[in-house]
Amino acid sequence: MIRLENVSKVYATSTRPALDDVTMDVERGEFVFLIGPSGSGKSTLLRLLLREDVPSRGTVWVANWNVGRLARRRVPRLRQRMGCVFQDFRLLPNKTVAENVAFALEVIGKPRHTIRTVVPEVLDMVDLGGKADRMPSELSGGEAQRVAIARAFVNRPLVLLADEPTGNLDPETATGIMTLLERINRTGTTVLMATHDRQIVDSARRRVVELSSGRLARDDHHGVYGVAR
Amino acid sequence: MLFVWREALVGLRRNLTMTLAMVITTAISLGLLGAGLLAVRTIDRTEDLYYSLIAVQVALDEPTSAEDPDCSSPLCRDLRAELEADPLVASVDYESREAAFARFQRIYAGQSILQLVRPQSLPATLRVTMADPLRGGEIVDRFTGRPGVRNVVDQRATVADLFSFLGSVRNATFGLAIVQALAAVLLISNTIQLSAFTRRTEVGIMRLVGATRWYTQVPFLIEAVVTGVVGAVLATAGLVAGKVFFLDNLLSGRLLANTIPPIGMTDVLGYVGPVLVVVGAVIATATGYVTLRLYVRS
Repeated sequence: MIRLENVSKVYATSTRPALDDVTMDVERGEFVFLIGPSGSGKSTLLRLLLREDVPSRGTVWVANWNVGRLARRRVPRLRQRMGCVFQDFRLLPNKTVAENVAFALEVIGKPRHTIRTVVPEVLDMVDLGGKADRMPSELSGGEAQRVAIARAFVNRPLVLLADEPTGNLDPETATGIMTLLERINRTGTTVLMATHDRQIVDSARRRVVELSSGRLARDDHHGVYGVAR
Repeated sequence: MLFVWREALVGLRRNLTMTLAMVITTAISLGLLGAGLLAVRTIDRTEDLYYSLIAVQVALDEPTSAEDPDCSSPLCRDLRAELEADPLVASVDYESREAAFARFQRIYAGQSILQLVRPQSLPATLRVTMADPLRGGEIVDRFTGRPGVRNVVDQRATVADLFSFLGSVRNATFGLAIVQALAAVLLISNTIQLSAFTRRTEVGIMRLVGATRWYTQVPFLIEAVVTGVVGAVLATAGLVAGKVFFLDNLLSGRLLANTIPPIGMTDVLGYVGPVLVVVGAVIATATGYVTLRLYVRS
């Protein structure tokens, strides 16, 4: 589902590469943690997958797309098959919960009747069925992140990218979000989650890919956050 | 499609003061352009009107004027024959001193100048209607100073002043229209940038969920086009008002009646209005497109 072949990324403003010759493979339906300290290249990797940037060297594959060489006009097609969730939720403050989720479908031109049936389903799935008409400012952090996940998932993406989705949440709420991501993973969606959250990584016992200074430092199936770090 | 329009309307409302400034500037610019177009039209019509009326006047000297009521003297007959044979000339009419005086009395009926003028002050003339009104100068050159000829006047030279006045009115309006258009273009570009900036979160999210350029950029273009079209409609309304309340009075008044043909409502609504709407929409779209290309990351 995701394949990186000798991928490097050098930014013009930096002498050290943000990613340095990274090769990795993620199968369809896998759940992978991407860990490493700040500046280790996690965000760069996610940006390359979303084609917010192109690799300096190497090839990035998502599904059957050669992401780095995708024509600009085809980028939306790629992103329509990927969902993303961020630490800061990125909800639209002037739209309700339901409208925020519907937004993702409206901008890709889904018909209104589809939107009307799909949005409540997805909100139920993230346990926010009763809060469809709330504004984002009325939600707790955990609820806001659930809305963001609903928005990322509503179009049934092949891949869900999560960039520190629990970074702003207390441990208990974070566990809830993790449960939700695992539930999404069980529907067949590949999940790639960048995180600093040791407790979540350790308790999930999923595949762990660790980056260090842009290089692939570790790739453990059923791994933990770190060994005596 | 509905979504795109809704976004555009939200954008227009959000920057309401900017939108108004944009509409007003566009309207003024297009209004001036429209005035210029009307001026061109009027000038063309005035020229047609005058060229059908004006002639080259070959005034005859005093003995001929005094003694020849029907151009039967050899001198007059020869001049007339020569003029009629000229390929530049469409027709030649003889106006005797008496006929000239009668016309003079008619034109200045009731005015004090009549008391000063005697038939003796007016020459008999050969009125030459040119086949090509622009080449009257050649007749002037050829017949000036000939025996029996007092002087030769090309009436076109007299109305040339009027045309050059109308021409400079037109040029001034176009000049102002261009300056205003520049202001309008900059304002539209600025507003789109501002609009894109205030909506950068939304646009960022749209791009992440896979919205195409159509969805991310068309709302901004619609904003620009709506501005252009509303500006054009206002400009047209302004021209109609200008015509009804100002030009109609001016052109039918004593001074300019029969000098400049009136401007019809069809000129404004059937010709200039549509042109302005198209020009407004096209300029706004082009400005919007270029702005999005240059300043807004897609």
